[in-house]
Amino acid sequence: MKKFLLILGVALAATFVTESAYAQVKVGKGQLSGSLESNNIYYDKDNIMQESGFMKRPDKVFGSHDYLKLDYTLGRFSAGIQIDGYLPPMYGFDIYSLKKKANRIDGSSMLTGFFTKYVQWEDTNWGVRLGDIYDQFGNGLIFRTYEDRALGFNNAIAGARVHYNLNNYFTIKALAGMPRYYDKRNTNWVWGADLSLSLSDIVGWNNGLVAIEGSYVGRHQNDVLAYAEYRGITGLDSKTLNMVSGRLNFEVAGFTLRGEYVTKLNNDVDMNEGVHEGRKGNAIHIDLGYSYKRFSASATFRRQENMNTLLMLGGQGGCNVINYIPVLTRQHTYLLTNLNPYQPTSTGGEIGGQIDLYYSLRNKSNRTKYWNFHANFSTFQNLDYVEYPGAPVSEGKKTWLEINVDAERQWNRKIKTTFLYAYQEYDKSHGLGAPQYLKSHIFVADMTYKFNKKHSLHVEAQYLADFDNKQGDWVALLAEYNFAPKFSFYVSDMWNCEKAELNFANQKNYLIHYYQVGASFTHGRTRIQLSYGRNREGVVCSGGVCRPQPAYTGVNLALTTSF
Amino acid sequence: MLAMFVGFNASAQTMPDVKLENQEGKTISTLDVVDGTPMIISFWSTTCKPCIMELNAINDSLYEWLDVANFKVVAVSVDDSRTISRARAMTQGQGWDDFECLYDKNQDFKRAMNVSLTPHTFIVDGEGNIVYSHSGYTPGSEQELFDKIMELQ
Repeated sequence: MKKFLLILGVALAATFVTESAYAQVKVGKGQLSGSLESNNIYYDKDNIMQESGFMKRPDKVFGSHDYLKLDYTLGRFSAGIQIDGYLPPMYGFDIYSLKKKANRIDGSSMLTGFFTKYVQWEDTNWGVRLGDIYDQFGNGLIFRTYEDRALGFNNAIAGARVHYNLNNYFTIKALAGMPRYYDKRNTNWVWGADLSLSLSDIVGWNNGLVAIEGSYVGRHQNDVLAYAEYRGITGLDSKTLNMVSGRLNFEVAGFTLRGEYVTKLNNDVDMNEGVHEGRKGNAIHIDLGYSYKRFSASATFRRQENMNTLLMLGGQGGCNVINYIPVLTRQHTYLLTNLNPYQPTSTGGEIGGQIDLYYSLRNKSNRTKYWNFHANFSTFQNLDYVEYPGAPVSEGKKTWLEINVDAERQWNRKIKTTFLYAYQEYDKSHGLGAPQYLKSHIFVADMTYKFNKKHSLHVEAQYLADFDNKQGDWVALLAEYNFAPKFSFYVSDMWNCEKAELNFANQKNYLIHYYQVGASFTHGRTRIQLSYGRNREGVVCSGGVCRPQPAYTGVNLALTTSF
Repeated sequence: MLAMFVGFNASAQTMPDVKLENQEGKTISTLDVVDGTPMIISFWSTTCKPCIMELNAINDSLYEWLDVANFKVVAVSVDDSRTISRARAMTQGQGWDDFECLYDKNQDFKRAMNVSLTPHTFIVDGEGNIVYSHSGYTPGSEQELFDKIMELQ
C-alpha cells in the first residue's frame, strides 16, 4: 500500500511539473525529453473465485512494471536510456515465471530490471546508431526487434546499425548485435542487412511506386551442436543460421501489391515439437489493397512453415524470438469478441488470410452525419504435423474462422451508435488432435450520447450466443461517463448466464460476475487510471501476439506521463 | 552544478527528425511536414478505439474550425506490419481524406516523441515547436485542441 501512495505522490508531482510541460528542458545547448509509465496491480483475495477453482490464492500482494525513458537531442545527435523495472513482476508475464523458477533455486529477489541505452547520429542521407536497436526488415518475417509493454516484450539488440540512402534510389541498412532476453543480455549474435531499390524513382516514374527489396539475417549460437545432441535432434549441423528474403512493392492508382518471401538456408530446430529433426523454414506473405473514394479493401494471405526463429535454442517464452509472425485476425476492442481470441498453433506451420472492406457514406453538406461500414473475414488452418515423436503425420485442419460486420452511425452532434455482429469458430485444441470448435455468435450495441461539449455517456451491451451449448451464453454490459477533458468513470460486468463455468474438480457450476469499476484522470500529458475488478483467465493480445493471463481480482493503478 | 545546465526554458520542445512513410508508401522526414502551418499531430492505431473516436471527432468539426483558423491535421498510424495495410484502408474508409496520413511502422516517431499510450495528440506550431500535448481521449476533449490552435493564430 505504501508503494501505491508513493506512486500517487509521484503522479501528483508529475501533474504539477507537466503544468509547464510544453516548456523545453534545456541541458547545455540540447534538449531533454522523457516519459514515465508505471503499471501496478494490488492482488486481492477472492473467496468465490478461489472456491470455484478459477483462481489460485495469490502468493503475493503486489506487482509493478515501471518504465522510465530519457532522451537527449542536440541537432543531429541524440542519446537516451530506458530503465525497465519489474518490481516485482506481475502474474502472467514470462518474466514472472522465469524469476519464480530462479527463486526456487537460489532464493534471490523477484525484483529485477533492465537498462537499454543508445547514441545516434542521423544525417540527411545516412545515420549510425550504437546501443540498443529497434528495427525490422520488411514485414518482420525475417527480423524484427521491438518493445511491447502490454506483453512484457522487448528483444532490442545491443550493437551497431548504419544506414545510407542515395536520392531515394536505393537504401541500404546493416546491423549486428546481441539481443535482449528478459532481464539479461543474450550472448548469441544476430546480424543482417537490408537493401531497397526504388525502380520508379530510378526511371523517374511519378504515377506510382515500384520497389524491389531484399534482406539477409544470420544468427550465431556457439552451443547449437551440444544442444542438438542433448535433445536428440538430428540434422542441426550449423552454428550459424542464415536466412534471406525478397520483397516486391507495387502501388498505382489506388491499387497496392506487397509480397514477401523468406526462407531459412540452414536447418533450424523444428517448431513442431513431435519432430526431432532439424528442418528449414519458409514463409510467404502477400498484401493486396485497393481504394476508390470512400471505399477501400485490403486482403492478406500468409503461409508459414517452421519460420518462427528463436533467439536462442533452448530458451523459453514469448521473448525468445528474433522475427515477427503475428496473428492476422481482427483485433477486437469489445469484451465478448475477445473471449476466445485466435492463437497460432504450436504445430510448426499455418496457412490462411483475411479480408477487410471499408465504406464510408457521408453527407456532403453536413459532416456530423455519416455511416461507416466495415466487414472482415479471416480463416486459418495448420499445416500437416506430427503429434508426438514417432506418430504418423496428421492432416492440418481449420483452426479459426471469423466473419464480422459493423456499422457505425453518427446521427447528429449528440448521438453515435455502433452495431457489430461476429461469428467465430475457435478451436480449443489449437490444431492438436481432434478439433474442438467453439462456435459463437456475438452481438454488440454501442452508443455514445453527448449531453453538451463536456459531458457524455457511453454504453455497451454485448451478447454471445452459443447454439451448440459448449460454453454457454455470455452477457457483457458497460457504462462510462466522461467529463471532458479530464475525468472518466466506468463500470462493466461480464458473466456466463447459464452458469456454465464448471469446476472440473468438484463438478459444480458457478455463476461468476467479472466486474470492473474504474476511473481515469488526464491532465495534459499525464494520465492516471485506477480500477478494481475481477479478471477472467484468458489471453492478453497486443499487436497480434498473445500472452496467457491468469485470473485475478485486484486493484490496477496505471500512470503515464512525459515531458 | 546541475542547475547550471538543466533549466526550464520558456521556448518549446522542437519536433524530432524521424523517417516514416506517407500515404503513397514513400519515406519522408517528419520535418517535411513542418511547412509554416500549425498542426494537430495525432498518434493512432487500428486497435485503439478512442484514437479513432478522436480523429472522427476532429474530422466532424474540421470544416467549421478551418473557417476560423489555419491549421492541418496529421494522423500518424503506429500500426506495425501486421495491421498497416488495414490502417491504410481505414484512413480511406473513415473518410479522413482531409488529413495528412503518415505511417510509423517501426514506431521510431512514437519513441522519439515519448508517446507511451495512444491516443496521444500534439499541437505543433508552424516552425515545428511542440506547444501542447494531451494523452487519452474523452468525447469533447477535442475542443481543447481547437482552443490551443486558436491561440496560435
